[in-house]
Amino acid sequence: VIDLEVDAPSAEEARSKLERMCEDLLANPLIESYEIELEERA
Amino acid sequence: VTERRPRVAVLVFPGSNDDRDAAWALSAVGADPQLVWHADTELPRVDAVVLPGGFSYGDYLRCGAIARFAPIMEAVADFAADRGPVLGICNGFQILCEAGLLPGVLRPNQSLSFVCRDVPLVVERTDTPFTARCELGETLTIPVKHGEGCYHPPDDLPDEQIALRYAPGENPNGSERDIAGIVNADGNVMGLMPHPEHAVDPLLGSGDGGLILASLVDAARERSYSRAP
Repeated sequence: VIDLEVDAPSAEEARSKLERMCEDLLANPLIESYEIELEERA
Repeated sequence: VTERRPRVAVLVFPGSNDDRDAAWALSAVGADPQLVWHADTELPRVDAVVLPGGFSYGDYLRCGAIARFAPIMEAVADFAADRGPVLGICNGFQILCEAGLLPGVLRPNQSLSFVCRDVPLVVERTDTPFTARCELGETLTIPVKHGEGCYHPPDDLPDEQIALRYAPGENPNGSERDIAGIVNADGNVMGLMPHPEHAVDPLLGSGDGGLILASLVDAARERSYSRAP
C-alpha cells in the first residue's frame, strides 16, 4: 500500500491525479493493477 | 585507410555500474565512447546510444521505473524516433521497457535468486544493427548477472521482434518464450539481459559479446557517414 497526501480542490481531481500517477509510475499496468481509496483530510 | 571511430554515448545514471565496462568494450571494438550524465538534457553528437547495466536510482519501485524520468531520456527517445540505434543492457533493458521504447517488462527471476553465470544464446535475427555480425542460429556465450531478468512480453509480441533467445534448457530466469533480447518494431532499439560488454575478450571467457557491440559500432559508423560532418 502506498499512502499519499494529495492537494486537490475536489475528490474527483484528487482521483484523476492519482490515476495518472498510477498509470505513469506507481504501477506497471502490464503486470500490476491498482485500486485507489480516498480519505478526506481537514 | 583508418576506419572512422564513431561516437557512441554511454549513459551514466546514479547507480549505473557497467558504464565504464561498456565504454571500454565499445572502445575495444572501434568506437569513441562518450559518457553522458543522466541530468543532461541533450546528447552530444553521437551515432549510437548505450544504456548500461547497474541499479539506476537504486532500482526503487521497479527496475528502471525512476530512471525513465531522467532528463536525458527525452533526448534518447528523440534519437530513437530518428532511427538512431539504441542498445539497453540489463538495467538499460529494464529502463527502455519502463520508458515505453521497448514492449514488455522485466520481473524478478522465477527462482527469486540473483543469477550470475555464462549462458548460451541463440541468434534469432541478423538483420538488426545489433546482430548483423552474427550468423542466424549461431550460439553466443555471454554472461548474465541479474535478479530481475524474467521477461514478460505483451501478448501480441511478434516472433520477429525476438533477436536472441536462451538456448533450449538454458533459460536462467524464467523469461517467457526463452527471450533474452528483443528489438522494437522498427528494429533500431534493442534490449537484452546478458552483458555483451563482459564478453569481448576470449581470455576472460568469451569474445562473443564483441559481435553484438561491433555490429552496433558498424551501424553507428554507417550513420556517421550518412550525415554531414
